[in-house]
Amino acid sequence: MFLELEHLTMKFGGLVAVDDISFSVNKGEIHGLIGPNGSGKTTIFNMLSGYYKPTSGKIVFEGKNITGLPAHKVTQAGFARTFQNLRLFKSMTVLENVMVSMGHLAKTQLLNVMFNPIAAQKENDLFTEKAMKLLDLLDIRQYAHNLAVSLPYGTQRRVEIARALATEPKILLLDEPAAGLNEVETNELAEILTTIRQSGITIFLVEHDMKLVMGSCHEITVIDYGKKIAEGDCDCVRSDPRVIEAYLGKEEDL
Amino acid sequence: MKKNPKTLKLILFSIAGIALLIFPLLAKNSYQVHILNLVGIYMMLSLGLNIAMGYAGQMNLAMGALWAVGAYTAGLLNQRLGLSLWLTLPCAIVAGGLVGGFVGLPALKVRAHYLSIVTIGLNEVINIILVNETKLTGGVDGISKIAKPALFGFKINTEQRYYYLILIAVIATFLISRQILSGRVGRNFRAIRDDYKTAPAMGVNAGFYKLLAFIISGCFAGAAGALYAHLNAYISPDIFEHKTTLFIMTLTMVGGLGNLNGSLIGSFILPVLQEYLRAIQDWQYVVYGLAIMVVVLFVPGGLMQVFTLLKPYVTMLTSRFNKLKSGTTVGEDSNVS
Repeated sequence: MFLELEHLTMKFGGLVAVDDISFSVNKGEIHGLIGPNGSGKTTIFNMLSGYYKPTSGKIVFEGKNITGLPAHKVTQAGFARTFQNLRLFKSMTVLENVMVSMGHLAKTQLLNVMFNPIAAQKENDLFTEKAMKLLDLLDIRQYAHNLAVSLPYGTQRRVEIARALATEPKILLLDEPAAGLNEVETNELAEILTTIRQSGITIFLVEHDMKLVMGSCHEITVIDYGKKIAEGDCDCVRSDPRVIEAYLGKEEDL
Repeated sequence: MKKNPKTLKLILFSIAGIALLIFPLLAKNSYQVHILNLVGIYMMLSLGLNIAMGYAGQMNLAMGALWAVGAYTAGLLNQRLGLSLWLTLPCAIVAGGLVGGFVGLPALKVRAHYLSIVTIGLNEVINIILVNETKLTGGVDGISKIAKPALFGFKINTEQRYYYLILIAVIATFLISRQILSGRVGRNFRAIRDDYKTAPAMGVNAGFYKLLAFIISGCFAGAAGALYAHLNAYISPDIFEHKTTLFIMTLTMVGGLGNLNGSLIGSFILPVLQEYLRAIQDWQYVVYGLAIMVVVLFVPGGLMQVFTLLKPYVTMLTSRFNKLKSGTTVGEDSNVS
């Protein structure tokens, strides 16, 4: 198995945010995690990316137990994430934002980078070249030297994805990437997701936009009140009575 | 036309370089040179603090104590073992770095204001140790008769000669700072300053880089300490009290946090201003305080921000000047571009 969550539980004091959830993500697929507001999606997300330490349960990635590792180790193990509300480094240009993510891949010794101008320049050139390729992929090359936070919202989202991809992940965790995007931008996002998947990166997607989820995910897990209520492919989930009751049903009532 | 800014820069640099080189010959007395020597030492301290506070966002308010660690390491090694500056300097750098790393340990748990309180507390702890460990440090009497260095028999025993030593040290510190900040390390520092929670998700080991920032500022303070001990020949704990730390912080903030040139400007302007204000005795603190308030209120980014604010006007003026010179009208030029 590629990524497996085993009996994952997270308690905040008396509140059980995630209650004994198990599911697995297959390599090379786009896996969606959906559920109503406050159902524990972001909590699962934060446990996967090393931001929360689970109260109990295990996260196994490519046969290795990565439960409770600090965030930068999880990133080094091959996870990359974006944030629900944009969190780009505010003093940096788009290019620099992307280059930060490449630091942990660097082969040059730290002291060498600090005191040897030639080695440092060589590394910077290498990073710049790689970063520019990613900016091309996301069609934001023209903004490379702009301050990232000065860009329009949709473009900042792309920068976030570029920054996550720059860590050279095996699995990309996206926390509501379509939030705040208009329909055109959402369609473009779906295309980007397909491109990323075709390059061999698995995608784990938390999303509210049903069109995007149903359109791109191979496998969907549905949670409600911290419990898993359904899983399967799109059609299977869509027709599940518990899902309709907990989630989609509410929307139909409106 | 394109060559203009570069040649201008080169000319400015040469003028500044010559001015720096011949200053000791023009100075009225050795006291003026002494002040400039102190300015150089403040520059090194301010560069160290700027890396920790301005770039990595870590409030290192123990710079005075780290400076003391360097000065006492050099002073004691010279007094007890008779080592010269060339040996005490590297020892002081190592000692400063080690204590700097120790002072930085709380940064792994607390941040921002809380970190400044903890580090200023550690500043006091180190100062109290200096006062009370009489047998080792000489207590309030400090250490005296620290020997002046010599280079291949040439004695660096006057303020004028020491000036060149400090000039080299400041240039080296500045270039090293710039080199450190230009690559991966500088980016990671700014990443943890901008958003300490997001940086780890980009593979940045935030704890390690926080400590590294403290260690670097400690090394710079250590070097400044050794140079100060051998320059002054006498050191005592009261020089390194928290008020010194706050002075170094003020220099850095007035000059511009997150800007290495700011450290140089701030470290020059404030001590020199202080000297000029000595004539008006106690009133100097009023003027000094007002100057700081004006900077904080109107240019919160420090004096370096003034240049950034003026830049558009300067480019506008130079381009107009160039147009006048080449004889093209404004309309024609805008068509071309």
